[in-house]
Order: sequence, then C-alpha cells, then structure tokens
Amino acid sequence: MQGFPGPLPDLAQLQSTMVAIERACSLIQMHMNPAEAEKIINPLRQSSMPYKTCRFILENSEVPNARFQAAGAIGDAAIREWGMLTNENRKSLILFCLHYVMEHASAADAYVQLKVLSIAAQLVKRGWFDFVEAEKIGILIEVKQVILGPHGSDVQSAGISFLESLVSEFSPGTSTAMGLPKDYHEQCHSSMELNYLKEFYCWAQSAALNVADKIVSCYANISEEKVCSRALRFMFQVLNWNFKSSPNALDNSSSNSNSGSFGIRPDMGLLKKFERSLVEPGPSWHDALLSSGHMLWLLNFYAIVRQKHSSDMLWFDSPLAVSARQLIVQLCSLTGTIFPSDDGEMHIKHLTQILSAVIEWVEPPNIISGALRSGRSESEMIDGFHAMLSMATLTSTMLFDNLLRSLRPFGTIHLLATLTCEIVKTYVIKNDDEQTWSSEALDILLEIWTVILGRSGNDMKISAEGISSASNLFSTIVESHLKAAAESAFEDDSEADYFHVSVSRRDETLYAYALIARAAVETTVPFLTRLFSERFALLSQNNERMDPTQTLEELYWLLLITGHVLTDSGEGETVLVPEAIQDGFSGVTEESQHPVIVLSWSIISFAKQSLDPKMRNAYFSPRLMEAVIWFLARWVDTYLMPIDAAKGQLGISGHDEGLQQHPKSSKKLLLSFAGQHSQGEIILDTIIRISMTTLTSYPGENELQALTCWKLLVVLVRRRHVCIHLVALESWRDLARAFANERTLFSLNARLQRSLAETLVCAASSFKDLETSNQYVRDLMGPMTAYLVDISSRNDLEAVAQQADAIYMVVHCLLERLRGASRATQPRTQKSIFEMGCAVMNSLLTLLELYKNQSTVVYLILKFVVDFVEGEVAFLSAKETSILVNFCLQLLRIYSSHNIGKISLSLSTSLQSEAQTEKYKDLRALLQLLTNICSKDLVDFSSFSNEAESTDIAEVIYVGLHIVTPLISLELLKYPKLSCDYFALVSHLLEVYPEKVAQLNKEAFEHIVRTLDFGVCHQVCCFPFSTFFNDRLKPSFIYLNSIIMQTFHSFLFDKF
Amino acid sequence: MSDEEHHFESKADAGASKTYPQQAGTIRKNGYIVIKGRPCKVVEVSTSKTGKHGHAKCHFVAIDIFNAKKLEDIVPSSHNCDVPHVNRTDYQLIDISEDGFVSLLTESGNTKDDLKLPTDENLLAQLKDGFAEGKDLVVTVMSAMGEEQICALKDIGPK
Repeated sequence: MQGFPGPLPDLAQLQSTMVAIERACSLIQMHMNPAEAEKIINPLRQSSMPYKTCRFILENSEVPNARFQAAGAIGDAAIREWGMLTNENRKSLILFCLHYVMEHASAADAYVQLKVLSIAAQLVKRGWFDFVEAEKIGILIEVKQVILGPHGSDVQSAGISFLESLVSEFSPGTSTAMGLPKDYHEQCHSSMELNYLKEFYCWAQSAALNVADKIVSCYANISEEKVCSRALRFMFQVLNWNFKSSPNALDNSSSNSNSGSFGIRPDMGLLKKFERSLVEPGPSWHDALLSSGHMLWLLNFYAIVRQKHSSDMLWFDSPLAVSARQLIVQLCSLTGTIFPSDDGEMHIKHLTQILSAVIEWVEPPNIISGALRSGRSESEMIDGFHAMLSMATLTSTMLFDNLLRSLRPFGTIHLLATLTCEIVKTYVIKNDDEQTWSSEALDILLEIWTVILGRSGNDMKISAEGISSASNLFSTIVESHLKAAAESAFEDDSEADYFHVSVSRRDETLYAYALIARAAVETTVPFLTRLFSERFALLSQNNERMDPTQTLEELYWLLLITGHVLTDSGEGETVLVPEAIQDGFSGVTEESQHPVIVLSWSIISFAKQSLDPKMRNAYFSPRLMEAVIWFLARWVDTYLMPIDAAKGQLGISGHDEGLQQHPKSSKKLLLSFAGQHSQGEIILDTIIRISMTTLTSYPGENELQALTCWKLLVVLVRRRHVCIHLVALESWRDLARAFANERTLFSLNARLQRSLAETLVCAASSFKDLETSNQYVRDLMGPMTAYLVDISSRNDLEAVAQQADAIYMVVHCLLERLRGASRATQPRTQKSIFEMGCAVMNSLLTLLELYKNQSTVVYLILKFVVDFVEGEVAFLSAKETSILVNFCLQLLRIYSSHNIGKISLSLSTSLQSEAQTEKYKDLRALLQLLTNICSKDLVDFSSFSNEAESTDIAEVIYVGLHIVTPLISLELLKYPKLSCDYFALVSHLLEVYPEKVAQLNKEAFEHIVRTLDFGVCHQVCCFPFSTFFNDRLKPSFIYLNSIIMQTFHSFLFDKF
Repeated sequence: MSDEEHHFESKADAGASKTYPQQAGTIRKNGYIVIKGRPCKVVEVSTSKTGKHGHAKCHFVAIDIFNAKKLEDIVPSSHNCDVPHVNRTDYQLIDISEDGFVSLLTESGNTKDDLKLPTDENLLAQLKDGFAEGKDLVVTVMSAMGEEQICALKDIGPK
C-alpha cells in the first residue's frame, strides 16, 4: 500500500515483537500478572511510528487480543503524531483499516474488526477538516459501494458498522477525546449533520431494501438478516442524533400559534422519563423520511415478517424485530419543521399510519396479555406503548382520541383504557416474580394517562366515550386493588430499606389513578363513596364476630386513593381544590347531594369513630389510623376554610340578597361547606380530638405520631384564618393544657415534642393583640421553664440528676420543647420567647456542667441556644443583646473546658465513630451559634440602640473563636458541612473585623492561619460538596488570600 | 407542670436500681438499653409490624458498652424496656500499680483502688506515657449495672 507511514523494520524484528505482544495478551487474558503485560504493550502504543509493526501483527497474528491491541496502538499513535503524518500517510492508514475489515468481514472475533473500524472512524474525524472534500468523498464512496454493493452480506454489515462508528464518533456525547478544543467536536457535529447524515441514512435504507425481499420470501440466510437488522439499527441511531440545524425557537412559535387549531402540540422533554426524546431533523429530511413512502414500506415489512413468524415466540426479541420496532417508535416521535405547515394534516396522517400498524401489537388486549402470561415476550407490546406515548405527547387529548377513529369504531382513549384494565389486573397479582413486565407496562400506560389528563384548558377535552372509558377503567383499578389489598392484609409489614422510595413510587401511581378518576368525577366519586360506606357499614355491623383485618386493609387503600382523587399534594404551597372537582357536578344545587361533600362527610364521620375507645381498640389499627391522619391532613389543607371561600365571604357579606337570587353553584357549595361560617369549626374540633387520640392512645407507634405532628398539626396552623378559629376551640386549649401541665405527652418521641411545641407556639400569631399572643406563649412554656429552674436549683441535684429517668423523661423532653418553641419565634411572640430563654439561662449552664458526660443532653442544649439566638438576635435591644451574648460566652467556656484535650476511646469502633460524630455535631452547633450572633451586626430590628450599653459583637466573636478554635482540628475540617460552617464564620470575621483577628493570641492566630492554609489548599476537594460554598464562599475565598496578607501585616505591626 | 407528678425521688442510695423502664418506641439510636442482662448502646433501630394491622415492634441492634459485643432484641414498641443507668465520673489519677490496677482520687479525698487499667491499647499507652511524663491526668470512669471501666482521659496539667 502506498504511503503507509513509518520505517520498515526487518522481518525478524516484526516477528519477535508480535510474539512478545501475543504473550502479553495471553497473560492479561488469564489474569496473570497484568502489570507485566502492560509493560510490554504500552511501549508499542507509545512508540513512534509503530504502524508497520501493528500492520504486521494485524495481518499475521493468530491471537485476536494481539490484533486488538495493535489496532488500538495505530489509533493512539496516529492521533498523537497526526501533525507529523503526510496527508498521504493519513489516508493510507484509514484505507488500510477499512480494507482490513472488508477482507476479514466474515472472520470470527468481531470485536477486533469493530475496534479497527472505530479507529478508522476516529482518524476520519481527526482529519475531517484536513482532507479536501474530494478525498473524503473518495473514502466514503468506497464505503457506500460496500454497503449497497454486491460484495456479499458480511462486507455489507461491516460497511454499516463503519457508519455506526462514524456517527457515534461525530456525536459529542459518544466521541473519543482527541486533545482538541471542544469547538472542533461541535464543528464536526454540524458538518456531519449538514452534509452526510441524511445520505448515510439513505444508504442504510437501500441496503435494507435490497435484502428485504429475500427476507419476506424467507430465502434470506442469517447474514442477510443481519444486514437488514444492522441497517435498521443504524437508521435508528441516526434518528437519535441530536439535531441542531432545525431552528428551535422559530419552530416552537409557529406550532404554538397553530396548536389550538389542529391539535399538534410542541411538547418538549416529556418523554424524558423513559430516556427518549423527540426527533426534529428539520425540513431537509422530508423527502427521505416522509414523502418517499419509507414509512409505509417499513410498517409493511415488519407486518409481513411478523406474520411469517407468528408461531415463533422468540422472534419478537430477535435483532431484526427489535431494531425494526425501535425505528418505528422513533419515527413516531418525529416532529417539528419536517412536516409542512399544512395545519398538521401530514403529521396526523403520519401518526395515523403508524397507529394502524402499532395497534396490531397491542390488540386485542386480553388475548395479548394472556399470551404474555403464558410466556410470550412482552417487548413488542412495550414498544407499542412507547409509540402511543409519543403520540400522546405530540397531540392534544382530543386529537389523540380521534387518531384511532378512522380504523376502529372507538377512540384511542377507549383502547388505552382497555389496555390499562388488562395490565392492572395482571399487575396486582404480584405472586409471580418473573412478570415484572406488568409493572414496566403499567408505568408507560400511566405516563400516557398523565400526559393526556394532566393538561389544562383546551388541550384536554375528552369525548363522552372517553369519559365513560375512564370511569370503567377506574372501577377496574379500584376493584383489582381492593382485591389485592384484601389478599395481602395478613402479610407482615416490615419497614424495608426502600420504604420511603416505595412510598413515593406508590404515590406517583396513585396520582395517575387519581387523574383517571378526575376525568370522570361524576361517576367515580359516588363510586368511591359507595365502596367506602359498604365497608364502613360492614365494620359497624360486625360486632367482633369475625376478623376485620381484610376490611381494614381495604379501607386503608380506599383512604389513600380517595385522598389522591380529592386533593393534590401541596408540599408547602397553597393547595387548591383540583380543577376537575371544582368544575364538575354542575347540576348539584344542594349541599347534601354534592358527591364530594358526601364522600368527605362519610370519611370524617368514620374518622370520628376512632374517638370511641371501644371502636378504636377493635378496628382502628395503627396502620388504618395512619391513612386516616394522612387523609385528614391533605383534606384539611384543601377543603377546610379554603382561601377562595374566605375571600368570597368577604365579598358576599354585603350582597346577601344577590346570592339568594342565583341558585348556588356546585363550586360555591364545595368551597363553603367546610368554611369559616359553616361546619368548618366543628370539623376542626373533631380533627384536633382525633390528633390528641393518636398522640395519647397509640403508645410507641412512632410512624403514626410522626404523621400527626409533622403533617396534620402543621397543616392546621399553616393558615392564619384557620388559626384564629383554632385557638378559640376548647379542644385546642385541652391540647395546650396537656402539653404544658400533664405528663401524658412525655411519652412521645423527643423529636415529636419539638414539632409539637413549634406547632403550638405557631398558633400564637393568630391573636389580634400582641399581649394576648405573648401571654399564650407564656402560659404554654411557663411550666417548662419553671420546672427547669426548679430542678437546677435543688440542693441534691447531683444525686438526682444521674437518675436516668430524670435525663430521658424530663430533661430531654423539656429541652426539645424549648427548642421547638424558639424555632417558632415570630415578631409577635419574640418577647415572650426571649423571656422564656432568659429564665432558663442559668439552669442551662448548671445542666451543661452536670451532664457534661451525657453527650445527647449537651447537644440538645447547644441546639436550643443556636435556634434561640437565630430567632431572637435581630430583635434584641442593646441590653438584651449583652445578656444573650454573655450567656453564650459562658456556655462556650464551659463546653470548652470539658472538651479540650479529652481523649475518649472505646473498644468498639462503631461506638468510637459514634462518639466522634457526636463531637462533630456539637462543634457545628457552636459554629452556627457564633455565626448567628454575627448576624446581629448585619440585621438589627431593635427599636433603639444606646451606644454606651451596646455590646461589641466583634469582641464576642473574638472571644468565642478563642474558645472554639482549639477544638477544631484539621481532621475535623475534612467534613464538608463543618468546614463550610467554619469558613463561613472565619471569612465573615476576616472581612469585617481583620483588626480583631490580628489581636488574637499567638496560638489562636496560628491556628486560624493554619486552617486557612488548609482551606485554601483543599478548596478543590471541598467545594464540590456544597453549593453553598460555590455561591457564597468562593468570593470570600478569593478574597481570603489577600486578607491573609493584610492580616499578617496588621499582625506584625501589632506584635512588634 | 403539676408538682405531684414530677418529683425526683431523692433516694438515699441513688444506685439502688441499676435500670429503669422506658417505652421501647421512644428509645432512639445512641440511647442505652439492656439486652440479655448487659448494658448496651443502641446503634440501629428499625420498626416492623406483625401483620399489616398489628402493632409496631422495635428491632434494636446494640453494642455492649463494656465488651463491645453486638446484641439484638425485638420488643413491641409500646412495651417498656430496661434502660441502664450509665454514669460517668471523673477522678484524678494518682498512681498506676505494677499489677495493672490504678489508684484514683475521689472527690471526697479518698482513694479508689479497685479499677484495672483499660484494655484498649491506645488509651493504655496514653495513660502510661502521660503518667510517666508526670502530667496531671483526669480519667473518666463509666459505670453501669455494677461494672466500671475507664473510658476517657484528659490532661488538666497547668498551661
């Protein structure tokens, strides 16, 4: 071959290199001494001009691995020495690779051939802008002839493989690094897209066409089928290309303006859930993909071949079938300017055409699912669902429904409903582990439902037929799930590792079910009411004659699905009544007939039964109660005294006559039945009583109590106008009284105590006048502070304090409560919370001294002070500030005196690491405390400040830092959160008060400089851990370097 | 807080009961618990139910605080568990005797001579070296259910 680069070594030398490489390769293969082998192979890759040697090995070696390594060496060397090679050299290398593969196309060990091809592709890309157009065409023409031509099907496959390597090399995501600017890859990408991609597609298309006839008539041999599946796979790959040329913005705006009229939607990114994307190749592809009849050919081809293999269960997973279906699904996702602007006519025709073929894959649903259960591969059905998902994404709900009408007497939604019914039925029978396909299929189907039903306005109109299908589907869903629930009622319920993941997944599924139900609210809500009442009645009549467990589990599931149907999850945002429910039930004029109201009442009165001890013990299991509480939390957030109604009340109050004249709309009924002026208060009262019951009558049921504290009670105090009613209720006062004065609530988990205190204090903000708010907090927290003061001033404290029930039952609970209260600090209650804090300051110092070895108590005290300072510091007057600051300093001193120089060890490494974690948490709390104090300088709301009394915050931090720095070792700074807190504090200090830092004593100063040094050196490793670092500290860090210098200067001046 | 409920019983002998009861559901990670008669620190808690509609049970994994052995227990979460009183007391180190015992100074001025040196090598080395260098050392002694062990040490020497 002319122009092959490199000097020609003599034959003996070539031979010996080959033998050495072969030996090294066999070493690797047998996992013996890979380091030794690398030592032999690496020199070949790194040597200069190894091409002739590599070629010799490729052509002569019997060891495939050696050939593989030789090919790799060619690639490495050529990319490295690209500049030294002449154009002739480069071309001859590429051609050598290509010819080598063509000659060995039918050889075994295909991976060697693939490697050589990928090297060729890399070199083509490397030289893409070095070669003149004619040279590139020269190379590619050869490939084209191989692909179309008569050299045999193995060679054809090899040609297509080369195109595959080339295209993947030119896609930025899969390209090989070449040590070139990113720009180069981008340029290659667009050049390929503009000039060659479509042409390649057409070559593959012709290759497929050539063998298709043979395959259809069953005369094809294996290698010809391979050519066909390769070609189809390559076409699929091309359609996965990230098309840039089609102008996105323009495309979007044009479709947007039209979308209303003909129903094609410009939805983007909706397919991401299944890692697929829409295909937008732009108008230049119109002839290749749409007008040439390519689509029709492909669909027919698949249909015919499928017919031939109808008896072969395995055929559905054969490469030919898989790649053909993938291509069809991908073509289904085609969108954008490739379609002419003819009001979507062509696009709709295109989709209908695909649907007519795809429908064979999924219909009739019962027979297909039967076949699947008896072992047929599910891949075809799944692909069919994916195609439907693409269609649903690209069309409005109405159009989606209509797509099928030209082919069947019903709409697409009806088909979808029937399919979902079948899959749900299979899905709920979970006893067979092998049938995971039902879960995958259900995922896609529910995603389709979410896409078509999750829209708003014009895009989501459903025909009457669609609504009745949705209604039927929902009945099937509920019935199958109830059956499954009843069957699984006796299974053990263990908290798995994936508990929360499975809950969120379950919620996602239930959300999709709820959308289906909401599409047909008129029937589904009464349906739920009926099912619920039936089961409720069953329990009431039961009289403990039979085991109610199955009914309980059914009720549990019903509560969950009802909750999802009636409410959206708010996640802290203001929740509105779902649109479908607001707008539905237009004929209803009486409150007592509104299905949603009826359903709500029936669940509330069911929940109310749990107040009766007899009923509670017999039927309200912890699990059922969890569902009740969860439901109530969501329901309260949505329906109890809703915002709209509150506004409506204000507006309406003057126009009562006006209201009388118009019949009440169902929407108004819905928004007002639990409003402020109707039964809202009664419901609120019931709910508080139920919460009390779960807190006191379900000892040890943490999950249930956590739901009550974190979900339900929090929701109750979230909105101020609900709070106003809340604090007036006797039941709420009972709760507050029990909290303040009784021991019953002490049995709650400590963290729940905190949340309970926070909730109770939060409600204080609803009082109209300031003094009442503060008095409420005093009444609530007074007993706690009095108690803490009382025990800390006892003479026999030391003896008593070590009694463990003193620690756990009382000190823990009280500290958590104080912390909860201070977290709920608001401007209105700031005064009383500060009084609370002041009252316990001395007691806390005593306790810190006393419990120095009880790390949990120490931590609780620190955390309380952190939250207390954070809540209060901005409001305090100069005098109050100095009280607070002095207290904090004392606290720091005591803590430090207990912990400096302490070495604790334990026999058990896990206990040892626990001890370290505790220490680490303490330190973080201390740093947060100092940072919080710092903020006084920045944010200060106190009304007047008296210069004489004011505390110098810098001075305080300065002392604080003296105390804390010795505790912070460089080891501890490796923990990202701690180092984040530490540097936040130090950088603030250095920026604002460099002179104070310079006054630190020598040891402390050296320590800080050491930590800064550490921070500067390790910023690379600690930055990525926290975005906080990036956002807020990076500027400080850049600044730090200059600050260090500055600090040193003032330090030097100071000391000398 | 109503008075009659919250009095600490100041017993003449505070160590009379070695354990006290606590509801299993409120025992958290890092708390103490008695399993098979041994005082332990909880390192893992998980809950499960007997049948979906049964009551919760707590599954504890805990480590013996003296011999570091791992122990496990399952308790209904509304039941009470025994929780050991775990005390830590600081003593100044006076002497290390040849037979492996230490001599400690109690707060009342007496000596306490019944404690063995710790078995942990690191702590032992620190203790011996520090003592040999003439440092003022304070040791922390952990005691629970009638057992005692040195668990920490601190140099309080003049700065």
